[in-house]
Amino acid sequence: MLSIANLHARIGEKEILRGINLEVKAGEVHAIMGPNGSGKSTLASVLAGREDYEVTDGTVSFFGKDLLDLAPEARAAEGVFLAFQYPVEIPGVSTTNFMKSAVNEIRKYRGEEPLDAVQFLKMFKEKMAYVNIDQSLLSRSLNEGFSGGEKKRNEIFQMAVLAPKLAILDETDSGLDIDALRIVAEGVNKLKSPDNATIVVTHYQRLLDYIVPDFVHVLYKGRIVKSGTKELALELEEKGYDWIISALVD
Amino acid sequence: MATDTLVTISLPKEKQSALDRFLANGFPTNKWEEWKYTSLKSLNDTDWHWNTSEEASLDSILTLETACTLHTSNGKMTLEGLLPAGVAYLDFANFVHQNPDFAKVFAQRNPILDQNSLYDLNDALASSHQVIWVKKGVKVEFPILHTYFASVSISSAIQIKLLIYLEEGAQLTWIDDLASSVDSQAILSNYVQEIWVAKDAHLTFVKTQDFGQMTTHIDHTFISQQDHSVVDMFTFSLNGGLIRNNLHFYVDGQQVISNLNGLYVPGNDQLVDSHTVVDHRMPNSESNELYKGVLLGNSTGVFNGKIFVRPDAQKTNAFQSCKNVLASDKATMNTKPQLEIWADDVKCSHGTTTGQLSDEALFYMRSRGISEEAAKTLLMLAFVQQVIDKVEIPALKESISNRVVAKIQQALGV
Ligand SMILES: Nc1ncnc2c1ncn2[C@@H]1O[C@H](COP(=O)(O)OP(=O)(O)OP(=O)(O)O)[C@@H](O)[C@H]1O
Ligand SMILES: [Mg+2]
Repeated sequence: MLSIANLHARIGEKEILRGINLEVKAGEVHAIMGPNGSGKSTLASVLAGREDYEVTDGTVSFFGKDLLDLAPEARAAEGVFLAFQYPVEIPGVSTTNFMKSAVNEIRKYRGEEPLDAVQFLKMFKEKMAYVNIDQSLLSRSLNEGFSGGEKKRNEIFQMAVLAPKLAILDETDSGLDIDALRIVAEGVNKLKSPDNATIVVTHYQRLLDYIVPDFVHVLYKGRIVKSGTKELALELEEKGYDWIISALVD
Repeated sequence: MATDTLVTISLPKEKQSALDRFLANGFPTNKWEEWKYTSLKSLNDTDWHWNTSEEASLDSILTLETACTLHTSNGKMTLEGLLPAGVAYLDFANFVHQNPDFAKVFAQRNPILDQNSLYDLNDALASSHQVIWVKKGVKVEFPILHTYFASVSISSAIQIKLLIYLEEGAQLTWIDDLASSVDSQAILSNYVQEIWVAKDAHLTFVKTQDFGQMTTHIDHTFISQQDHSVVDMFTFSLNGGLIRNNLHFYVDGQQVISNLNGLYVPGNDQLVDSHTVVDHRMPNSESNELYKGVLLGNSTGVFNGKIFVRPDAQKTNAFQSCKNVLASDKATMNTKPQLEIWADDVKCSHGTTTGQLSDEALFYMRSRGISEEAAKTLLMLAFVQQVIDKVEIPALKESISNRVVAKIQQALGV
């Protein structure tokens, strides 16, 4: 579904991604780990279409389409979803109104009829159950004054509503208490199917206890320097990154 | 020059001296401090028809339950329907005749007229000077709608004057639906409203301004408030080549509440100038001013908010906020809060901001599938919603909101 080859991206003069290669197939879960500042969020942003980053080399294809050629909203409509590390506050727009606009814009893109109020009500109710989120939170200004955990939960609620083919979760576990972590992870697992794929960016093994990855990659200075199976995450938890970094000849 | 034709007009003595005052000063130019960003100099280039007899008619686009409707068409006012009980509609001379004592008090109201030469012009040439008079204790259940419409085939100046008088304990909702035809020739719409809100009275006033590009609208709304009175004022400047609003509150009583809400969305080649004055002359009163602007295309906005707290006005609470979004890099906003406080025991605050839509927010919304234009529209509408939501008449609220959305979408090319 997703094929990243030799991806280079920079912001201003600073090169942040320096040749990323990654293949993600339907049904797979990939974990991306790596030290602070290694480029994990940048990779996620570039995939979602953030214009601040300039792609200087490489290709990204998504179901055969050139993803880099699409506007962020078209990528969403094609099935890419990014759960933000730092969800943005949107004053004056409630989550429900926001999601109504998003769903109907995506349906328009796909040539489908818009949903009406009744259909939305039913759908929201169903999706709220996935992450155990409260109606009162959804009526408030999106992310404004939300606690860290509420923001992350809301991201997964949005993911449930949009049912993406590729979900990229950027540190969705940070800021969650132990119960919330379990709830959010269970929500993500319920949304998993043989047709979609997930990339989880995380620093901690504990999330991977719930969302079990098929592959674990280590990103360092803008490159994937090591890939393995879920055992690699356990090893990282125990030993840190030094043993990988010191083995590198830069 | 356009005003040359005024020299030959002969008027009764008082009107003549108003005209002379106007002629001595002429139209404001940006050399005048109060008109720094809003020069009317170009009005000199039009050969104005000062007393049009052209007919114009348009049904209001508002569908509301109203007590009655007043129509002003090219400056001529007519009443449609029956006045509610306890409300009178009469001309000013007749009103003065019936209320000699009030007339004396009213004559001493002492409005602030610095650099407002168009008030004099109106004084001299207004084609109509009517009064809406709500009698003591009368609570008018449904709004009175005033539709003011102009459309001319020869460039014309249209000027009316209106007094709204709420006696003690009276209650009224007044809707001023001001508009002009989009394909009219040039219009100078010079509109004076004087409003007297007596003790314990409550006025809700919603003014919408939706003019064609060839209209210059100068609005003078001067409100005097007595003890325990409340005024909820709304000014929605939706369209028009140039709109200058002079909105004055004279707080002549104690325990007065004055709420000023404003929203402007000028588009290409449009200018909206809001000059507000809240003059706290008596103690223990409160004013709240909330203005918001979305500036589209190459539009210009001006906000000048004066708050005076006179030496006697102890324990005044006065708040002012003016927030703006520049929706394009060709738009400009000029803000100038001006607080002059002579009393020491007061609470005053003010703040103005002018910014752009957040790129972070736009990217977040687009990453969920919302197009750039729709995301901008949502953000701008969310920004102005706070002001629109304060209007308590659902149909009016919806009409305003729809017009704002349409205007934003048009500017974004949606
Ligand atoms: N807008 C920006 N301007 C300048 N530098 C940036 C910008 N965005 C990211 N960077 C830099 O790019 C590098 C990679 O940042 P990124 O956020 O991708 O790291 P990360 O791997 O997600 O880190 P963390 O684990 O702390 O979330 C960092 O050095 C960061 O400072
Ligand atoms: Mg990050």
